[in-house]
Amino acid sequence: MLAIQTRGLTRRFDGRHGVTDLALEVPAGSVYGFLGPNGAGKTTTIRLLLALLREEAGEIRLFGEPLSWTRRAPLSEVGSMVETPSLYPHLSGRDNLEATRLLLDGETASIDEALALVGLTADAERRVREYSLGMRQRLGIALALMRRPRLLVLDEPTNGLDPAGIVELRALLLRLAGERGITIFLSSHLLSEVEQIASHVGVLHQGQLLFQGTQESLRRRHGDPLAIRCGDARAVCDSLAHLGEQPQLLDEGTVSVPAPRRADHEINRCLIERGHAIHAFGRRPHSLETLFFELTGQEART
Amino acid sequence: MSALVRALRAERIKLRHTLAAWMVPLAPGVILLLSLVQLGFAHVPPPGPTDPMAAWKHFCQGMFTLWLFLMLPLFITLQAALLAGLEHGHHQWKHLLALPVPRRTHFMAKLCMLMAMVAASTLLLAVATPLVGWVIMQLNPAQGLTGSPPWAWLVSRALAIVAAGALMALQGWVALRWQSFTVAVSVGTAGMVSGFLIGQSDRLGHWFPWSMPVQVFLRDGVHLWFVLVAGLVAGVAIAGFALWDCSRREYD
Repeated sequence: MLAIQTRGLTRRFDGRHGVTDLALEVPAGSVYGFLGPNGAGKTTTIRLLLALLREEAGEIRLFGEPLSWTRRAPLSEVGSMVETPSLYPHLSGRDNLEATRLLLDGETASIDEALALVGLTADAERRVREYSLGMRQRLGIALALMRRPRLLVLDEPTNGLDPAGIVELRALLLRLAGERGITIFLSSHLLSEVEQIASHVGVLHQGQLLFQGTQESLRRRHGDPLAIRCGDARAVCDSLAHLGEQPQLLDEGTVSVPAPRRADHEINRCLIERGHAIHAFGRRPHSLETLFFELTGQEART
Repeated sequence: MSALVRALRAERIKLRHTLAAWMVPLAPGVILLLSLVQLGFAHVPPPGPTDPMAAWKHFCQGMFTLWLFLMLPLFITLQAALLAGLEHGHHQWKHLLALPVPRRTHFMAKLCMLMAMVAASTLLLAVATPLVGWVIMQLNPAQGLTGSPPWAWLVSRALAIVAAGALMALQGWVALRWQSFTVAVSVGTAGMVSGFLIGQSDRLGHWFPWSMPVQVFLRDGVHLWFVLVAGLVAGVAIAGFALWDCSRREYD
């Protein structure tokens, strides 16, 4: 069962990338990290998924139900927070939720339930203007939970949060996914965060989906590089080149072979036979960050 | 419960602790207070009529002239901008329009709330005017406000809220359509200033939205029925257009 499925989804803007021919497949129950550099089209995609923008071409299905600018019924299954939380700062946290509850014709109990879930019960009567950024972010999620959604769509939910706030939010999202089985679709710039909570990732670049699947499949596709820690890295590089490999000198004591042609044990044996001092030898898993930069052809700004 | 009723109840909550909510009693309150201070402590009797009923009408007319010429257009402009600003200011549209509620419901609720607030203020003025007249009589009997207040006259002039239908719908649309507070206030101010001039024209006064309300008693109410019907019809038409236009827009 797919929580989100898009086919040929396209929306362009004058002078800006939108998204082109997007084919998203988000399995129900997954935590899907939607990655892409600034301007890649992440927010456009999210706005399309929430019928906040008109689709130019293609179709969207939420839990199998078609969604469009004019056909919005599937939104009853969706809770959302786009960029910053939409809150009325002059109202209390409870009043903010009450306004949304009334619009949704929800039960009064859903307010206390949402407050408890995000840990804001004690601060419910305080005005939102007195809330910290982290509390506002949690209240924003509580608003999204008012519909008791099956799908939570979050656009950059960690924006502006300090490390403690990020940890809190991560724990909350994992709890929602684990205990309630809510599918979470989140875009984020923080690759390390996505790496920790997402079961699936999608990588968007210039409006096009470069990859989607589980994190494992992404790693499998790219293969982990061979990392060799040794006494004389330059000499090891020469030997590896002599063996027909394409080594990379990472520093004076480390050599990497991104895609070895020979078996690992064979390379190890050859290096030892040539008298190199090998301190450590093995595969080093790619970080999501490395894979992201490889996919998008970008380099980290140092 | 219908979506509109629910949206109106949500609007009522959003108005808590807002300037827009305070404006409802404050706007007519300023007019009432000014009249009280001016007439309650005047040392000379007014140059107007000595007949009590005529004195009451003179007094009420002064009150409503201030309200309909000056305060009402300003009040509608500010209220429309403040109501729409609640959503524009904190990027609420992306939350509201992603809810499984028909888009037009949110805009309809805003327009209804604007009309309800304007109606409440106008009715408050109509009801409080005789009370202020009574206080003035206690302070300054020379004003001649004796006998029963002209309730029928007051009620009929309070119908100016119907004549303001076009103005409310127009200002509501401008405030919802453009996110800038300045646009709504500029349009309202320009309309109000033009209304001062156009409103005095026998030929054009009853056609211009900003001067339609005051026509309920200008020139002895010769255009009363015209502005009531035109205000209502144009108000419904402009509100319909506003709902169509706002509902098809992609808000940030």
